[in-house]
Amino acid sequence: MSEEDDGLDAGKEAFKEEAAELLTELETSLLELEEHPTDEDLIGRVFRAMHTVKGSGAMFGFDDIAEFTHEVETAFDMVRNGKLAVTKELTNLTLRARDQIRTMIEASEGKATVDHKISKSIIDSLQLLTKGTAAGSPSGHEPAAQKPSKSASGDASHSVTYRIRFKPFADLFVTGTNPILLINELRQMGSCMVVAQIDAITRLEEFNPESCATYWDIILTTTLSTNAIKDVFIFVDDMCDLHVEIVDEEGEYDEAEGYMKLGEILAARGDVKIDELKKLLGKQKKVGEILVDAGIVDSGHIASALAEQQHIKEVREQRQKTTDTAASIRVPSDKLDKLVDLVGELVTVQARLSQTAIIHGEATLTSISEEVERLTWELRDSTMSIRMLPIGSTFSKFKRLVRDLSIELGKEIQMTTDGAETELDKTVIEKLNDPLVHIIRNSIDHGIERPDIREAAGKSKMGTVHLSAGHSGANVLIKIEDDGAGLDKERILKKAIDNGLIAPDAELSEKEIFGMIFAPGFSTAQKITNVSGRGVGMDVVKKNIDALRGLVEVKSRKGSGTTITLRLPLTLAIIDGLLVKIANEVFVIPLAVVEECVELSKKDIERTHGRHVSNVRGILIPYIRLREHFVIEAEEPEMEQIVITEVDDKKVGFVVDYVIGEHQTVIKSLGRVFKDIAGISGATILGDGTVALILDVPTLVRSVETHEPVTADAAG
Amino acid sequence: MSKVIMTVDDSASVRQMVAFTLKGAGYTVVEAVDGKDALAKLANTQINMMITDLNMPNLDGIGLIKGVRAIPAYKFIPIVMLTTESQDSKKQEGKSAGATGWIVKPFKPDQLLAVVKKVLG
Amino acid sequence: MATATAEATQYLTFKLEEEVFALDISKVREVLEFSSVTKVPRTPEFMRGVINLRGSVVPVVDLRLKFGMTRTEKTVNTCVIIVEVSFENESMVLGALADSVQEVIELEPEKIEPAPSIGMQLRTDFIKGMGKRDEEFIIILEIDKIFTAEELAFAQEATQAA
Repeated sequence: MSEEDDGLDAGKEAFKEEAAELLTELETSLLELEEHPTDEDLIGRVFRAMHTVKGSGAMFGFDDIAEFTHEVETAFDMVRNGKLAVTKELTNLTLRARDQIRTMIEASEGKATVDHKISKSIIDSLQLLTKGTAAGSPSGHEPAAQKPSKSASGDASHSVTYRIRFKPFADLFVTGTNPILLINELRQMGSCMVVAQIDAITRLEEFNPESCATYWDIILTTTLSTNAIKDVFIFVDDMCDLHVEIVDEEGEYDEAEGYMKLGEILAARGDVKIDELKKLLGKQKKVGEILVDAGIVDSGHIASALAEQQHIKEVREQRQKTTDTAASIRVPSDKLDKLVDLVGELVTVQARLSQTAIIHGEATLTSISEEVERLTWELRDSTMSIRMLPIGSTFSKFKRLVRDLSIELGKEIQMTTDGAETELDKTVIEKLNDPLVHIIRNSIDHGIERPDIREAAGKSKMGTVHLSAGHSGANVLIKIEDDGAGLDKERILKKAIDNGLIAPDAELSEKEIFGMIFAPGFSTAQKITNVSGRGVGMDVVKKNIDALRGLVEVKSRKGSGTTITLRLPLTLAIIDGLLVKIANEVFVIPLAVVEECVELSKKDIERTHGRHVSNVRGILIPYIRLREHFVIEAEEPEMEQIVITEVDDKKVGFVVDYVIGEHQTVIKSLGRVFKDIAGISGATILGDGTVALILDVPTLVRSVETHEPVTADAAG
Repeated sequence: MSKVIMTVDDSASVRQMVAFTLKGAGYTVVEAVDGKDALAKLANTQINMMITDLNMPNLDGIGLIKGVRAIPAYKFIPIVMLTTESQDSKKQEGKSAGATGWIVKPFKPDQLLAVVKKVLG
Repeated sequence: MATATAEATQYLTFKLEEEVFALDISKVREVLEFSSVTKVPRTPEFMRGVINLRGSVVPVVDLRLKFGMTRTEKTVNTCVIIVEVSFENESMVLGALADSVQEVIELEPEKIEPAPSIGMQLRTDFIKGMGKRDEEFIIILEIDKIFTAEELAFAQEATQAA
């Protein structure tokens, strides 16, 4: 901005000097003109002087001068065109006008005051002279569209798909126009598909490279108006055939099922006649092939029409996915929650029905039960999908955060995103907000370096935070990558030892060290800033992601950046669980954390001298005896089972009597009374109507660890 | 290699403003005071684009455009003319002479840059 | 009950061991047969666990344990009284175990006396008053008080101590 201002100020000074010269010259010319009223050269000079004063004046903000001079210029334009004669009256008025202009320039410097009455009387008299003549003033103001600027590009506020055919005349090149630049301009307006039509290109020996034989079909989806598109072609509007049509509009065509068929598109574009098309449609080939075979239309047009078809299909699909207003109804989320509850109950009852059917072994009952089972699963899946929302809206919120924070911290940071259409359960998305804010803040504050430091390190001044989402099996992966300084292993280690989080001689893997940043009360920020490092550390992230039954993974390379990956379940309402039994109690272990199941015999226990460690293929894995932990008083069986889980790269086994098998687990809250029970995250209702508790493996491990620390070695 | 743009105008203030704006955007600018001066300078300067006023002494904009288009090397370069709203017919004339586009005076620096970007890329 | 006066309140009576207790009927949602309960580990003993109430998971309290009697044993007569209590200003559904459910009675306020502060063998803050019918005393419970924030704090302490 300031550069422009400098330019403007310098321009203003230059204009004043120039105007002073012009006005002096004007005086001389006018006096000469009185003696030679038909001298074209003199008339031209007077006109140009006025023209320049007006044009430059307006450019440097002397609007009053420009407006005033316009009237004089008009008069001399008429003189130039022989529509007005030079009279003593005209030269007198013009001389008075000249003096008035000088006063106006002086006034701008505070050296004089302008008497507006004089201005008005001069203008009135000039207009009296010019109006008397037939033609009137030469053409009035041009429409705003003549300026290819923002002012003309209206905003349609919703996205519209245009079909544009830009067919330049053969002599387009002689005006120095590069049509590719125009097409590139369109590309920048929105999502765009371009098909070049080359059917008019002649054979090489007849080919004239100086004439334009190509034309273009463009399908453009943009929020800009038709006028904005036409503005792109403003310089060539008399050198081309340009057709701009709306073929799809948000909200307008959404109910229409699918888009036009290929033949319909071609007919709508005027590339084929509808009756020719109908005649050919009897043949059982693809419309495109038939038309090409019949020589009615060439393959370029078919390709273009197909591109349109595809583009609009994509645009519509995208719209369905990313906007929640298009073709949708708003439903209060508690109604949805109720629906999910009911489906959960149905799933439970259905499990009972299946169990009953198996017990009875009656053919009719079994087949009904199977039918109900199929319908229930379908109902469950579609109900769950209702709760799914694209994560895009959350992503876009962070753009602002990144922008504001980078300004605040004097850093140059851009945010890029990927996979905004990835769907996640509404509740998960809501609960994801805080952890993401924290991670992004951390990346901006601690990760990405100041521009000067980046430059010194040979990186681009602009740092990047890349936010991406994508599916991975039954999970969604959300990645937050930055190209900043990366994590400093030594500093983290030192801090962790200083804070007593680990023993000074502990040997930790890289993953374990990086994992320390999520430990409560951990913050490596050397100074506390506004942004992060104010006591609430990354442990909040860990806690929230744990609550979502998700996992956090950190990868970092010093100097080149950090990637934090959040692995989240698709939905909170139903999970895949493993049913296990201890005495008469049934528990569910989330299958996502289960690695494998191994047997544990009394002999194995003797071999480890009562220590709670099992040797699985040479690796020592600590285990927790749920019977003891949950104080279940019953004799253990001869052969027990260990369910081995892995959380945060730590393998821990859970000893149970018996592994029942997999179970579609509809998660129920335990309610406020039991909300803080360590190791239990909820409950589910089994096929027989009884309640089973769902184990919260991470907190269970933590609650055991605080009493009997599991050493890093054993965990390895 | 930055692109070279020639600005042709008898008004020093306009030339200054155009030059300042274009230099700020990374272009190299050559100035000429009228059509005759421009053609003379073209003989030993290689340019990528020309921005010219229409009303100039010695050789006006229309004459200059015709002259430039007659030079084989400049047959297809973008030429933008500066016009005022009262010169609609001039605009037509300029286009027939081979102008690529136009800018209506008065204009702001970003409008100038938008047009340059549009025709020069 | 057609002659209920404005002042009279209806109560559901039930037995714990041999004593008769009563609950304001407006607090009672339903009475269920007691089948099975899932114990939530590391919670106080009087918290018998959770049951499935048509798809919802509802906590069940053993009132006998709560009142210092022996643990409720399952018999053909054992019931779960589902009550709605207010807990930290929010209503919550809770199951209470009873050895048997008796009947619904009507009591005028004047027939209810304040509980004696001694000799009750249970904390008087759970007791709204003593009703009298056919020479028999009925202990009217203040069910909202049974589950107070302190009680929950106690439950959590127990969890951590275990």
